[in-house]
Amino acid sequence: MTFEERLARLEEIAGSLEGDVELARALALFEEGIELLRSAASELGAAELRVQKLIERADGAFEVESRE
Amino acid sequence: MTGKRSPRHSAGAEYDLFALADAGAESLGVNSAFSEPPPPADYHAKDEYPGESAQSAVTVSTLTQTAKDVIEGAFIPLWVRGEISDFKSHRNGHWYFCLRDSTAQIRCVVWKRDQRGIPASPDDGMQVAAFGRLTVYAARGEMQYTVTKLEAEGDGLRRKALEITRARLQADGLLAPERKRALPRFPRVIAVVTSPDGAALHDIVAVLRRRRASVRVVVVPAAVQGENAPDELCHALDQVNRWGEADVVIVGRGGGSREDLWAFNHESVARAVAASRVPTISAVGHEIDISICDLVADYRAPTPSAAAEAATPSGEELLGELRELSLRMGSATRASLRGRTEQLRHIGRDVAAASAAQVTRRQSRLESIAGRLHTLSPVATLARGYAVARDRSGATLGGTDAFRDGMPFDLIVRDGIVPARVDGVPNRSAS
Repeated sequence: MTFEERLARLEEIAGSLEGDVELARALALFEEGIELLRSAASELGAAELRVQKLIERADGAFEVESRE
Repeated sequence: MTGKRSPRHSAGAEYDLFALADAGAESLGVNSAFSEPPPPADYHAKDEYPGESAQSAVTVSTLTQTAKDVIEGAFIPLWVRGEISDFKSHRNGHWYFCLRDSTAQIRCVVWKRDQRGIPASPDDGMQVAAFGRLTVYAARGEMQYTVTKLEAEGDGLRRKALEITRARLQADGLLAPERKRALPRFPRVIAVVTSPDGAALHDIVAVLRRRRASVRVVVVPAAVQGENAPDELCHALDQVNRWGEADVVIVGRGGGSREDLWAFNHESVARAVAASRVPTISAVGHEIDISICDLVADYRAPTPSAAAEAATPSGEELLGELRELSLRMGSATRASLRGRTEQLRHIGRDVAAASAAQVTRRQSRLESIAGRLHTLSPVATLARGYAVARDRSGATLGGTDAFRDGMPFDLIVRDGIVPARVDGVPNRSAS
């Protein structure tokens, strides 16, 4: 799941919880939400920036080469 | 110094190739390392210079070719100031015009291939500075100035070029605000079309690092200034689109002179930006520099650093967002739980009320039974004035047998107990 998808799912969960939802379902959503929050936050903590260079080969295929 | 003779006046009687050459070089203050012109092809007599007599007359070609060799060898390229007149753009693509001041004029040409570096064609009446070489067009025996750079007073050519380009893009609808697309909020791959060694790339990477952005930055190298810059920028944008993996593309460079930034005003670059299927951010120079690219890009960032900020959400912001979602979820869940608790409490209350009613019902039944019991109880009899005698252990003394003289006993009456003692021997009644 990408960060974006996690965020979207969290929005959805918060929305459902704010609506009318059966208790058992609410607790399940809450648990799922907490899990998503945890993983999203840890992803943020592990931010990784990669710098690469685009190279076009003679046959028109592309490849990327790491820089730095 | 052999005197200030301009080439035009020197084709007279004292024609002397070498003196002329020296004069030309010295009068311009440049001498020197020019090569000696070759002797005319028909030079043969050792003791006579060509053209000294009618017998040794040189041909016209020799004259003009020699003039060409001398003049072209004598002048280094120069900037010349003057006013444009008789401008013509020939069918073959070359430009022809005269450069003049109040007393002189010279024919000028700008070859098609040299026009790339000139923002726009000049108009008659423009005051310009033209950089070029003095050349001789031998076929006509004319001098002409072969111009390779042209600058107009007040940056007139650039202004003209900007207006023309802008009008063309406008006519094609490329400047319409509704063409602008939203940038993706979470790009995974950011292409950067710029010089791989420039300040722009450095700034972009530094900002992304500071923002703790999780992205791939893919540099697509292109010259950002100079003659090849427009073509290279277009090519790089085309590569980004054919590659197809970038979520957004930043096109730009760091600050520089107006001339340095000029490639970003090029119509071809603007059209390449407009045609990009990948959303575009333009970031050219500093805040005050607005390029044509800025006008067609989906987003105009004032600097490359600002472009990096626009391209990615910051880790801080995202953490804030997560925090807010967590709060929303927490309070929603608590609210939901509270709702249930409230329900439970209501139910509890109902149950209690119901059982209370039950109790009341039982109580009243109890009371009626008690009432019935009451009517049957001796207490009622007592209330009617009867008394019951009991010994001290509480046993009822039902007949004379139970009494002995002097024995203490209790009389239970309607409203209490009366201690008593038997006075005399009990008498069984006659019946």
